[in-house]
Amino acid sequence: MEVQKEAQRIMTLSVWKMYHSRMQRGGLRLHRSLQLSLVMRSARELYLSAKVEAHEPEVSLQPARSPDPRLHPPREAEAEAEAAPLDGEQPSPEPMDTQEAPRAEEAPARGAPRPAKVSRKRRSSSLSDGGDVGLVPSKKARLEEEEEKEGASSEVPDRLQPSPAQAEGAFPNLARVLQRRFSGLLNCNPAAPPTAPPACEAKPACRPADSMLNVLVRTVVAF
Amino acid sequence: MLLSLPALHLQTSEHHPLFQLPHRRLGPWCSPTGSPAPLSCETGCGEGSWILVCRLLVPTQVSLLSMEEDIDTRKINNSFLRDHSYATEADIISTVEFNHTGELLATGDKGGRVVIFQREQESKNQVHRRGEYNVYSTFQSHEPEFDYLKSLEIEEKINKIRWLPQQNAAYFLLSTNDKTVKLWKVSERDKRPEGYNLKDEEGRLRDPATITTLRVPVLRPMDLMVEATPRRVFANAHTYHINSISVNSDYETYMSADDLRINLWNFEITNQSFNIVDIKPANMEELTEVITAAEFHPHHCNTFVYSSSKGTIRLCDMRASALCDRHTKFFEEPEDPSNRSFFSEIISSISDVKFSHSGRYIMTRDYLTVKVWDLNMENRPIETYQVHDYLRSKLCSLYENDCIFDKFECVWNGSDSVIMTGSYNNFFRMFDRNTKRDVTLEASRENSKPRAILKPRKVCVGGKRRKDEISVDSLDFSKKILHTAWHPSENIIAVAATNNLYIFQDKVN
Repeated sequence: MEVQKEAQRIMTLSVWKMYHSRMQRGGLRLHRSLQLSLVMRSARELYLSAKVEAHEPEVSLQPARSPDPRLHPPREAEAEAEAAPLDGEQPSPEPMDTQEAPRAEEAPARGAPRPAKVSRKRRSSSLSDGGDVGLVPSKKARLEEEEEKEGASSEVPDRLQPSPAQAEGAFPNLARVLQRRFSGLLNCNPAAPPTAPPACEAKPACRPADSMLNVLVRTVVAF
Repeated sequence: MLLSLPALHLQTSEHHPLFQLPHRRLGPWCSPTGSPAPLSCETGCGEGSWILVCRLLVPTQVSLLSMEEDIDTRKINNSFLRDHSYATEADIISTVEFNHTGELLATGDKGGRVVIFQREQESKNQVHRRGEYNVYSTFQSHEPEFDYLKSLEIEEKINKIRWLPQQNAAYFLLSTNDKTVKLWKVSERDKRPEGYNLKDEEGRLRDPATITTLRVPVLRPMDLMVEATPRRVFANAHTYHINSISVNSDYETYMSADDLRINLWNFEITNQSFNIVDIKPANMEELTEVITAAEFHPHHCNTFVYSSSKGTIRLCDMRASALCDRHTKFFEEPEDPSNRSFFSEIISSISDVKFSHSGRYIMTRDYLTVKVWDLNMENRPIETYQVHDYLRSKLCSLYENDCIFDKFECVWNGSDSVIMTGSYNNFFRMFDRNTKRDVTLEASRENSKPRAILKPRKVCVGGKRRKDEISVDSLDFSKKILHTAWHPSENIIAVAATNNLYIFQDKVN
């Protein structure tokens, strides 16, 4: 449990660092972001393996864990979309290009169009869907997401309305904890629904459903 | 790993075994007391006593005018006018480099300024002033810029300075920020023409009708003026942040390295560069490592090395192919599984790589260690020195306060017998490769009396703390020494501690 808590704390910390590294002068540092993402990944793996040991192994665990890498890229891409309006920066080709960089995890190859699509599609999709907001950067990811949801564990808590279906699986607590911790971190009212085009800093936190990783991805992708 | 050293005070050469074995005499030099004593760089300095020569504050608003005047510069250099607490971030020194003779010392800071110090010449009157460095020239090298396409600010912080060997009366250096490299010419002017026909003494044009005689202008001596002019600007060649520059031994080319690419430049050509290394993956999602430092071999103009964030070093030969993506040698040490932790990947990232002066060895610095590699052996380093192993158990806190990302540099002494690197709490460490002894010294204002002898410091790692030791928890992690430089032939070192530059020399009495 200690290990889990520690891993969680480190994940939260990493997200926070990534988020704030976007604001620093000189732009995002590739090396730094890479290192942060490595730590994120180690923390996540540690957390997951600790979770696995803690709980009875379920069949659902397997599909639950494998989606995570795939969930990440979508979230990361999504993060960029959110991050872009966040501080008014236009995600230029270069930052978008390097958005992938920090994600050192194996992820299904995502074409360049995705990032470009991300900034537009996601915003609109996020505006339209209440519940799945923030989860699905692209159609491809959405499909995967839906598959996994049935499996249960979604490390991503879509928690605008905590639906029991999504809460199944091995990681509901993680999701809740991450959400709680991260929302507190950003000092934003978690209950505020994102309606208007995001212009405020608090956008990520305004989506309480988003997991910490979601935001992580956003900030990272804003490269 | 730290050896307990005897309390060091003055050491006479008779008692110190090291100083009795000079392999190569470089000629006499004056000790601070004025009596000449032979010094050889071979003697190393693991235990030698180091004294403070001068502590220099990077001059900011004060001295662009008074730079040339000896009295004023000395005042600035020796005064403690500016309290540390008033230091602005722009004053933080970001790079330090001696030139090839050691006569000049250049520093770059976060504000984009370059300050060059010159060694005081030995004179009969002030024999003990020799060894002091005074401000020679200050100029604004880089300005903050804004990349409109990417909506990104480009920091003016000087990442690296590299001197060119002197080929005429002027000095040339390369300075770089994140995106642009500039070649600066620093020259002296001590004469000016007087007696123009068409201009009067103030430079105003004279009415030609009033000119009745002609004269030949003559050069008259004037107060020494040091001017710095940008001779070349090498821009727009790097997408990522430049971390290193290195002048080739052919003195015609140099390379600049960013996170993913290394470019080769000719000094004369600013609108083109050759890309010689490109590790950017086709799909950025597959990125696993970045380039952290690069350097040319000191003698072989076709050879260079670059280090990566994964703790590996690649040696490339430019004769093999135009694009040196395939290395000639690959240096990697297998990871010690017992040391594996959460942050193993981060702390194995190499922050600096330096060739020895002989060209036979390379030295690398990662977060906790310094390693010396033999170019002929790729599977492991020949020497590993623990810089501050007591931090290994504190990696999590260091991650929280961002210290784990600090990029320390390392330097060789002139004879490659001693290596030096920085640490926290304004400590810096020297390791003597021959005797295997090491010493920890502190660059602090408390020790700042000129000619004061530095006392070796020790960090207590646990258990009982002895009187002079400092415990790990009392270390000040905001005071870090990232940049140091060693004089190319003498035992004089420059240590940058935030906005202060300390110059120490080995005291032989």
